[in-house]
Amino acid sequence: MSAVATIPAAKSPKVEYFQTNNLGPVFFRLLAFGAVSLLIFLVMTLFASDPQAKRQILFSLLFAYSYFFTITSGALFWILVHHATDAEWSVVVRRVLETMAQSFRYGWVFFLPVVIFAPQVYAWLDVPVGRDPVLDPKRGMLNYPFWTLRAFVIIGGFALIAFLLRKWSAAQDRDGNPRYTVITRKLVFASIPFFALGITFAAIDWLMSLDYYWFSTMWGVYIFAGASWSAMAMLIVITVTLRKNGYLEGLVTDEHYQIMGKLLLAFTIFWAYIGFGQYFLIWYANIPEETSYFIRRNAEHWNWMSTGLVVLHFFVPFLLLLSQSLKRNPGYLRGVAVYCLVIHALDLYIIVLPALHYKDVSFHILDLAGLVMIGCTLAFFFLKNLAKFPLYPLRDPRLKQSINLKN
Amino acid sequence: MSDTLTVTNPAAASAVAEAPRTFGIAAEFSSAADLYHAAEKCRDHGFRIWDVHTPFPIHGMDEAMGLGNSKVSLIALAAACTGTVLALMLEFIPSIWLYPLVVHGKPLDFFTVPAFFPVIFEFTVLCCAFGCVFGMLALNRLPRWNHPLFNWERFAKFSDDGFFLSIEADDPKFQETRTKEFLEGIGAENITLIYE
Repeated sequence: MSAVATIPAAKSPKVEYFQTNNLGPVFFRLLAFGAVSLLIFLVMTLFASDPQAKRQILFSLLFAYSYFFTITSGALFWILVHHATDAEWSVVVRRVLETMAQSFRYGWVFFLPVVIFAPQVYAWLDVPVGRDPVLDPKRGMLNYPFWTLRAFVIIGGFALIAFLLRKWSAAQDRDGNPRYTVITRKLVFASIPFFALGITFAAIDWLMSLDYYWFSTMWGVYIFAGASWSAMAMLIVITVTLRKNGYLEGLVTDEHYQIMGKLLLAFTIFWAYIGFGQYFLIWYANIPEETSYFIRRNAEHWNWMSTGLVVLHFFVPFLLLLSQSLKRNPGYLRGVAVYCLVIHALDLYIIVLPALHYKDVSFHILDLAGLVMIGCTLAFFFLKNLAKFPLYPLRDPRLKQSINLKN
Repeated sequence: MSDTLTVTNPAAASAVAEAPRTFGIAAEFSSAADLYHAAEKCRDHGFRIWDVHTPFPIHGMDEAMGLGNSKVSLIALAAACTGTVLALMLEFIPSIWLYPLVVHGKPLDFFTVPAFFPVIFEFTVLCCAFGCVFGMLALNRLPRWNHPLFNWERFAKFSDDGFFLSIEADDPKFQETRTKEFLEGIGAENITLIYE
């Protein structure tokens, strides 16, 4: 009974595809950097003699993977919000978000070593039953089969949602059937609880359980705040770059930049609010089992980084993004967004690495190599995927409102 | 006879001397779209002190009127900064310098700032909100008892189904007859001279 007539595409904007013909050098560079980083990893793995060196490899992978996992989850979050709220402004950039969210499909490969060698990373896997009275009641959650199953369900579920969202969005490009908008919304409403639980459990399983003594009820929201913040920054970087290369002409305007800048500012504040809320309650209550996380991060040079994070993750972007006219300047906005992506790496560095370098900060080449390796791989697939479908949803019912957006 | 009355009656004489000042010219338009286009023409004609009055907000009217960004944001920023500094001083000066208070063994220097943050935040937001509200009122020259436009009975329709445009006499380009002609030219109805 699908008797809905085929609706012609809106005539004003032209059908636009991302061209990869002249991107050969870019692809080559991405593959070259990725290969060099992979080589560094392999060499380090071959020559890793002591347990600490082996753990460094896994921790660097975990750090880099969580960095890109959070950004990808944030992209998925923005699509979910777009459909759930029936938003207008984000229609023109939705395909970019949809393509970003496909990264779940490729990123898990880099997480696999962490899953396989999990006992090297997560101390609770190494403690025999009955040894630690703090751990034993938590075994229901913290056991290898269930932990692995959760990782599988989270990444698989997110990948599936992202896949369906893009599939239906691209299907609408072909026939303009509004039914896709409706079924997408149904999928989105079903996905929101799954997404919320998924990112919370990912945060708890992969990051919080690095120290199984410690717990924080704000943790899932804290990771989510950083995820949606960094994803918005990534969206800005990609959109402005596309626009500067002549794509999305007449579709993405200053109004869209202003909205994206506003959301980046809003999530800067949201991150600070959640981060401070978590820190404040633990700092004030001063209960030993809660303070361990911050005591470790407020010692030696970790303290410099933690204090720096407060300034660099909140105050600096907050002040940079306050002005309305500056947010409408694409070059400026992209600069701030790149800065935000760097600071998001600092945020996750402070979360992951103190579990390995308990006493003091100790940078390792693998921390950078991990980021480059996963980043280049995901960027490669992102560009390939971006070219597969039109650059924006051609026949979305709200496309026109999105183009004629006014703040 | 009336001549003699005005001359002999002191009250009437003073009334003549203080003849009501012209506030400006107001006119009515038949629809929101007409008013929107009239506003664009007014803007292009170079009027500065003028306004439109509608029962509901019209999208894009600020652009059609050539209004820039509101100054309220600057006032709000200044008020918020004042709030932050005030709250910092109110907490640090008494609790750290004048009467050092050790609570929970927390440090007595800058790093006790998390304890003060909720108050700093709340006071910043409070001052910012005050700056917004009172800044907006001040920029709109509110509150006031009355406005000359209410002297025109028909103007009451502005909160029901009327779309009005008023050009004030203080405008440098304002000339009674020529402004009237201009308004006629852009399709206004019920062009009325408003007295204060």
